[in-house]
Amino acid sequence: MRIVLWPAVALAILAGPWLLGGGGAVFSAFVLIAIFATMAYGLDVIVSDLGEVSLAHPVFFACGAYATAISTTRLGFGPVESFLLTVLTALAVAAVIGLVTLRLREFVFSLVTYAVTVVAMTVAANWAFLGGSDGISGIPLFSLAGWQARTDRELWPVAWALLMGAIYLVDAFRRSGLGQRAMTVHLNPELATMSGIDPLRTRLQVFLVSAPITAAAGWLYAYQRAYISADVLETYFLILMLTAVVLVGRRMLLAPLIGTALILMQEKFLSFGGYVDSIVLGGVLILVLSFLPGGLAGLARSGLKMARRGG
Amino acid sequence: MNFAQQALNGLILGHAFALIAIGWTVLLGTARLVNFAHGQMYMIGAFVAWFVMSSWGLPYLLAVPAAMLAGVIIGWIMQATLLRLTIKQDLVSIMIVTLGFGHMLEGAAGLSFGSTGQILDTPLSLKDIYIGDLWITWQDVAIVIVTIAVFIALKLVLEKSRLGRLVRMVAEDPKLALLAGVDVRRVYLGVFAFEGAAVALAAAVVAPRTPILTSMGFQEVIITFVVVVLGGIGSVTGSYLAGLGLGFFTAFFGAYVSQAYATAAMFGVLIVVLALRPGGLAARAGGR
Repeated sequence: MRIVLWPAVALAILAGPWLLGGGGAVFSAFVLIAIFATMAYGLDVIVSDLGEVSLAHPVFFACGAYATAISTTRLGFGPVESFLLTVLTALAVAAVIGLVTLRLREFVFSLVTYAVTVVAMTVAANWAFLGGSDGISGIPLFSLAGWQARTDRELWPVAWALLMGAIYLVDAFRRSGLGQRAMTVHLNPELATMSGIDPLRTRLQVFLVSAPITAAAGWLYAYQRAYISADVLETYFLILMLTAVVLVGRRMLLAPLIGTALILMQEKFLSFGGYVDSIVLGGVLILVLSFLPGGLAGLARSGLKMARRGG
Repeated sequence: MNFAQQALNGLILGHAFALIAIGWTVLLGTARLVNFAHGQMYMIGAFVAWFVMSSWGLPYLLAVPAAMLAGVIIGWIMQATLLRLTIKQDLVSIMIVTLGFGHMLEGAAGLSFGSTGQILDTPLSLKDIYIGDLWITWQDVAIVIVTIAVFIALKLVLEKSRLGRLVRMVAEDPKLALLAGVDVRRVYLGVFAFEGAAVALAAAVVAPRTPILTSMGFQEVIITFVVVVLGGIGSVTGSYLAGLGLGFFTAFFGAYVSQAYATAAMFGVLIVVLALRPGGLAARAGGR
């Protein structure tokens, strides 16, 4: 069943923009949804599987964006080299953050990771190497083996492949020994220790799996925008990721994608201006966590149950 | 910039930091709650004070309580939304919800006050004092006096009064307090309302030192983290001393090393402290 179903879903997503009329705005929306969903998948692993809330994930996103911006404009790197650099940078930064926060739990962990993001923003806005407050412009077009993506329509297959890669990785992670260990550490730390699992080691490993996924989204974002500045560290991205992860439900493979799609569709097609959109996004996050602990999927399940009981 | 002037700046900055952080200290120490919207509440307090003075022509002495009233209302609404999670002590969800509130407040502030920076001038901030070649304003004097007064009052209330005992009892064991007939919900609502009032007071008193922007909450909250953590979570005296120490550190770092990286340096201090005593901190703060 899985073997037939998943490729069908993947192909349906690939064909999505064409099925929806194939306009430029539709392709742009799909590319952005794919990028931001990939960004959210990295965080999903930490929130849903490890049970911690990392607020440093915008830093990994920025790692990818800046590594790509700098290496393509100053060193002439192509997409493959810049992707490798993105992964390496994210791993290095994740190792440092992971080691520093290794023994911190719950909100102290979140507090420190939040501080990492704020500090990263002040550094990005002030350090000349990272372009300072002007940022880095002139990022070349995405071109691979003689083929160039000049528009979002041409970039869509790349964004789709990135998204599929992220989903595949998260799925593989959940089936792997590491994924099982992470869940054990999350749900029952005592049992984990008794079964010979090293919780600190597991945490660090999950962090190292998660960071490159979010960073890879930053890699494509740099090509899509052609310009990167300290804005990539704004709270918007953090709130977007968190909302995308909790909106639909935890530990459901397509939940971050559907969550991101719902949020971006509101912002692209039902926008009330930036400020009101902030209020809407913050409000959705508050409502889901305060009143819908199971997310939209939980709501649908209890709705179904009630309908069955009624009938 | 001479040494004495920097020391004086540090002293004032330190009192400002302590005052900004006091709401969080009480929130975390007595109710084991966190509020990531703290910085945005500071921003709203500053803008409400600015708005009632510049648009309604209210005097500064009335603008301060107006800002505090706004803080109380926001704090109350937040805690009313969070009550279910608070009773469950689901700190992780509480944290994300407060982040969501911060994002909403920033959007609402942008909508109401625009995105341009403003200057919150008060009658005190325009009057200078010169002592030899040292320079401060009466606003700086007010910061020091208000901070000391708030800390003394708070310490007295928490340690000597029935209300203080009630709040500490709820912090120690909410379920037991509930059994003892304490209205736990009202205590939580009250503590959050106090946090709102305290941070708005801090904003109305401290914000005249710098231009105010609707996006400033993002950074402001870091100062609070560092003060609360350095002071030993929840300790009122500790956070006063931590605020002072951090004020001196920031003044000298800003003057002799780099102004732009002062926040980053502050964060470095936080990391060092956490590396030195991670276990004790996490155990006490997590509350389990």
